[in-house]
Amino acid sequence: MITPTTTAAGKQVRAAVATVDDPEYPGVSIVDLGLLESIDVQPNGDVVIGLVPTFSGCPALAMIAKDVRQAVAAVDGVAGPRAVDVRWLASPVWTIDRVTDDARQAIAREFTVAVRIGDGPVPCPRCGAETTEDSMFGPSRCRAVHVCRSCTEVVEVMRA
Amino acid sequence: MERSWASMEAFEAFLDDGGVVEVDDDMPDAYRQAVFAFIEMHANSELMGGLTERDWIPRTPGLRHKMAVLAKTQDEIGHGHLLYMVASDLGCKTRREMLEDLFAGKSKFHNVFHYRAKTWGDQVAISFLVDAAALASQQAVFKNCSYGPYRRILKRIIAEEGFHMRMGEERMMLIAEGTEFQRTMFQQSLDDWWWPALQLFGPDSKPEDVLLRWHIKSERNEVLRARWVQKFAPLLVSYGFTIPDPGLVYHAKTDTWTAGPIDWEPLKRTLAQSGPDSARRIGEAAANWTDTYWVRDALDGTDQAAGATR
Repeated sequence: MITPTTTAAGKQVRAAVATVDDPEYPGVSIVDLGLLESIDVQPNGDVVIGLVPTFSGCPALAMIAKDVRQAVAAVDGVAGPRAVDVRWLASPVWTIDRVTDDARQAIAREFTVAVRIGDGPVPCPRCGAETTEDSMFGPSRCRAVHVCRSCTEVVEVMRA
Repeated sequence: MERSWASMEAFEAFLDDGGVVEVDDDMPDAYRQAVFAFIEMHANSELMGGLTERDWIPRTPGLRHKMAVLAKTQDEIGHGHLLYMVASDLGCKTRREMLEDLFAGKSKFHNVFHYRAKTWGDQVAISFLVDAAALASQQAVFKNCSYGPYRRILKRIIAEEGFHMRMGEERMMLIAEGTEFQRTMFQQSLDDWWWPALQLFGPDSKPEDVLLRWHIKSERNEVLRARWVQKFAPLLVSYGFTIPDPGLVYHAKTDTWTAGPIDWEPLKRTLAQSGPDSARRIGEAAANWTDTYWVRDALDGTDQAAGATR
């Protein structure tokens, strides 16, 4: 395994993967959401990318894999899409703390979506006041619906 | 916040200036009612759409598409949920009143959900043509919508609908490059769904339309409709399908496509809840509501009344 930070090729591949956005959060990279687990650049130039899904039934997996393959295929030294193997890994399991601080701020700012860590309170992305859960089920398996106690904003909450 | 305006003129000047209204503001009642009615219809359409999508979970071919239909069902119901919350905050009707009105056939929802999806080809046509039309009209609202809470919810909804669109495109290409049987089935679906999808945009916007005047919508219906025709007519023709519009014209000079005259009677019938499948759809949604009372009751114990009426 060659980690992305040790070789120039690995770094280029990582940068290419980072250009792929989550299909439901345009502008937020899948790398910042913690989906990228491993990059293996082989001596013949073939690349194996290991990704972890937020949940295994996610309908966007095929689309994300296709976008990653396309992005990496365009990297110098990679012999096109056939040289890129994108794998969805069964382990490790994706957890909410894999989301970077930057991505948390971006989805709060751009999409009024909060990220819940553990069982702690969820502050409103708009005014900072505490929110109350309206339903543990939102438009996606990875999100609940809260409402702000102060400004009444309807807030989606990303959770593990 | 809680701003107020001395007159309708002052309020309209605020809106023309790009002002965004928040829920605590003392907005004119006519504006409140217009925003409420618009969001209520959107919420109803998400719910009715989600219920239709749900019917297709067991019948969707292939595991991958089945997963996508499952997720899309949750998406639509979730969008409906968020929108009902935003609508009820306006204080015109409670969430429950909106649902009861919908199931009693007293409320509006999008014309396309008054038709029946009979084949997988119909589902493909819906996820390709209808979702695109719905997305285009939502984008036209989102761009400069003067009501803040709706605009923020729409931004998320649009991101997710964009994802549905990509699924729809993929399905359409699969079927277009499929067997003769699949292509014949899809042509039939196109014949049935082209006009309802096109009519989703509604008739030409009237000059006095308050939705435009108050910057709730930012583009005229006919503009959105023309753009949709311009995008989908050439695409479907390039795949060898026939658009069921004898008046459709291609202008070679400008490389543009324009639709023929539109018969608005079918749209009027759906608005009066008497579309081809309106009664069954509303009946099934209502039955679903009463059948699931025990879930609501188990969750919060407040739904005894609904249970008793069963």
